[in-house]
Amino acid sequence: MALNSNEINGIDTMGKDTILKIEDLSIAFGGLKAVDSLSFDIKEKEIFGLIGPNGAGKTTVFNCITQFYKPDRGTVIFRNNKNEVENLVGKKPHEIIKKGLVRTFQNVELIKELSVVDNVLVGCHIEFEASIISQILKLPKARKEEAKYREKAEEVLKHMGLYNIKDHLVAGQPYGVLKRIELARTLMCEPKLIILDEPAAGLNDTETIALIEMVREIKDKFNCSILLVEHDMRFVTDLCDRICAISFGKLLAIGTPQEIQANEQVQAAYLGKGDE
Amino acid sequence: MSILIQILLNSLETGGIYALAALGIILIFRTSNTTNYAQGTISMFNAFVATFILINTGLPAWLVAIFGAISAFVVGVLVDRIVISKAIKVNPVAKQIITLGLIMIFLGAAPMIFGTDPLQFPRFVYGSHKIAEATISYNAIVNIIVGIVIMLVLFYLLQKSKWGLSVRATASNDIVARMMGIPTPLITMGSWAIAAALGTLSALMLAPTTSVNLTMMDGVQLLALLSCVLGGFQTFYGPVIAAYIIGMASNLISFYISSIWSDSILYLLILAVILFKPNGLFGKKIVKKV
Amino acid sequence: MEKRQKQPIAKMKKGNPIRNYILFGIVLLLLPILVEMGIVQYSHITIFASILIYAIVSLGLNLLVGYSGLVSLGTAGFMGLGTYLAAYFTADLKLPFEISLIISVAIPMIIGVITGLISLRIEGYYLAIATLAISEILRKVFVELDFVTNGFSGKSANYPKLLGFFQLDRNLTYVLVVIFLVLIMIITHNFVNSYTGRALSTMRGSEAAAQAMGINIYRYRLLAFAVAVGFAALGGVLYMHFIKYTYPNTWTLAFSLNILAVIIIGGVRSIPGTIVGSFIVFGVPDLILKKLPVIGQIDGMAYIFNGVLIIVIILFYPMGLVHLWSDVKRKLMTKKRKGE
Repeated sequence: MALNSNEINGIDTMGKDTILKIEDLSIAFGGLKAVDSLSFDIKEKEIFGLIGPNGAGKTTVFNCITQFYKPDRGTVIFRNNKNEVENLVGKKPHEIIKKGLVRTFQNVELIKELSVVDNVLVGCHIEFEASIISQILKLPKARKEEAKYREKAEEVLKHMGLYNIKDHLVAGQPYGVLKRIELARTLMCEPKLIILDEPAAGLNDTETIALIEMVREIKDKFNCSILLVEHDMRFVTDLCDRICAISFGKLLAIGTPQEIQANEQVQAAYLGKGDE
Repeated sequence: MSILIQILLNSLETGGIYALAALGIILIFRTSNTTNYAQGTISMFNAFVATFILINTGLPAWLVAIFGAISAFVVGVLVDRIVISKAIKVNPVAKQIITLGLIMIFLGAAPMIFGTDPLQFPRFVYGSHKIAEATISYNAIVNIIVGIVIMLVLFYLLQKSKWGLSVRATASNDIVARMMGIPTPLITMGSWAIAAALGTLSALMLAPTTSVNLTMMDGVQLLALLSCVLGGFQTFYGPVIAAYIIGMASNLISFYISSIWSDSILYLLILAVILFKPNGLFGKKIVKKV
Repeated sequence: MEKRQKQPIAKMKKGNPIRNYILFGIVLLLLPILVEMGIVQYSHITIFASILIYAIVSLGLNLLVGYSGLVSLGTAGFMGLGTYLAAYFTADLKLPFEISLIISVAIPMIIGVITGLISLRIEGYYLAIATLAISEILRKVFVELDFVTNGFSGKSANYPKLLGFFQLDRNLTYVLVVIFLVLIMIITHNFVNSYTGRALSTMRGSEAAAQAMGINIYRYRLLAFAVAVGFAALGGVLYMHFIKYTYPNTWTLAFSLNILAVIIIGGVRSIPGTIVGSFIVFGVPDLILKKLPVIGQIDGMAYIFNGVLIIVIILFYPMGLVHLWSDVKRKLMTKKRKGE
């Protein structure tokens, strides 16, 4: 696939330790600019936060990165799990996870009719190789594969403290548990970048502190970067190495949590609203 | 040239029959989010009712047609009260299957009540007229005009009357409509009643050529559905215009290519058009938000 | 209310359901013996065989509707095509049964894949309408290509001859049908519990999640549809070889709807439910209703009954009758507890 000069530039200037670089990302819905010329980059093994008032366009940014929306302009350069650098724009949504980029959803998209462990197993769907014939006849290859990944899923569930409900249906589980199951699902394919859409929403203080620990552990254990969106400021300042603040789809500031908290524009747009 | 005019005139009549049926389908779809597969069967049932009245009273066809429409109105209200209103919370696929259940009920009830033999329904008027070497029957003229008038009246009411506003509001967003005080259950009931009446008129216009029998409306039903697909489910006028287009295309294909395979060719053509315009000729693109 | 823990679905030891299906098959095989002993009427075998054949077709549709969330209204056309092809290959061309079986399933599947390739690029409703149109076109073909299909007179075939020499009779064909049903039940079970089955469930539950996990929705929908068409065609082949006659007017939209009713009534996403549904939709009218004193004489009663049943079940039991059993058990258990 031929690269245009923009992409070549983006890739050239992508530092060896940068894993994701968004440049000039823009998308409009019927004349309304949801994301406006946004640029930022994320380094390896970094926890990066995206904050902004409601409606600032945070989930839209995620959708543009993961190609659920096709941005009108801009590039999304990603260093994939083969250490190749490529522009994700234009790829189909289901091609993204193969490159090592996985996400969670604001609405917790789990399958109610499946068990917890089955939901998590879907996380490594792309690893399965057995043919249809092999699956319907339960040939050894299919059985071994299923057993291997089921064991892996159970391991992940143990880490997240969910092993005791592994065979329960997802339907009816409390919201905090659902978020942890979705988080477990993202760990199944050894991602390089995990995008978390409001991971702490609906959690109480204790659960939130536990989550902070969990996210740090995940970053260390899997050697990955994390991009997250959150409203809970304590969560974001405690956890993130750097933060990007946006408002009405436009960049306000990028910096360490301390720099962001001190930034006047950010205070006016977001922190100053006094909704802690 | 005269053949073309002949075909055009025939198409206006055929198109009108399809348009009435299509209007019924889209009315129900937009107000209760249900694809009504049973409309043809319910229309057939009421056509039987009308024919029954005709046979047993000897009243003129046009008067009987009005009774048929009234019967359809009642049936529509009953169906809505007994079944549809209880299915509001059901998911769209299951709602479609409920209409499939309705088909079975009416398909079973019709022969039980009216017997299994096809019945004859006459034209509304007899005689014909010549326009530039093409012949058109007075009946066809009546059908065309009645069809157009009814649709114009309905569209006028949709745009200008309070009822019409309520229907459009419900069609646009039924939750908000209800919050604004619009009695959406009544609107839905009205839609089912009107749709049944429209379908019955369609059946009675068709009846002289096919006789009144169990499967008389099967072809029309499918084409009415396809009219909605071709015209787009987002407007009321789309399926109506598409129905006339389909009526025209059907007659043209039937005459110039093959009358046996005209339906099949028509289906394939429509499917092909939809490939390029997935939301229909008059449809608007819906952006899905994740 | 929240205290009651949700039971896991029947995903216990994998062996159990399969053993049940085999046991069920063995029970079914007793039927011809009961007929020989005079306990059961001869004509009942026909009804049972039909029910089982329709169950095979319904299992395919269940994979499509229940697990992938798509509706096809073309079941009749594809099954009918299976019947006509089976008759043509065995009766006209005198091909061996096994070869005819494979081709008679393959050709409809190819047509299905082509239909799906085009239809599935658009929203789900398009498949419903496209399959309906294809089914009607096929029915027209059955009528018009009468030099092959005999038009309205219908086409006929004979009981199968296995391996070129083993000629089956009615009872043995029934056995063949039972064997096929059990095999299909096992295959469906394995399919649903495989990673492909999980992908289909995910696709149905959340398209967004499916895509985020790398599932190519288009491809998996095509797969589910192809399997559904394959099962329908297989049902057609078995139908042809057991009933021995096929007519164009059998393969109508009404038939497709009946198959849909089977899975809705019996329970979407349930293999035993599909069997139950098939018995109710195709068995009750002939086995029970027609035998009743007054009702049995009235034409059309069966149709009305089915229609009412479908509506009632959707309104009150959207998950199908198969859950009626577990609900009854639960009610009995709570009654017992209250009595203590």
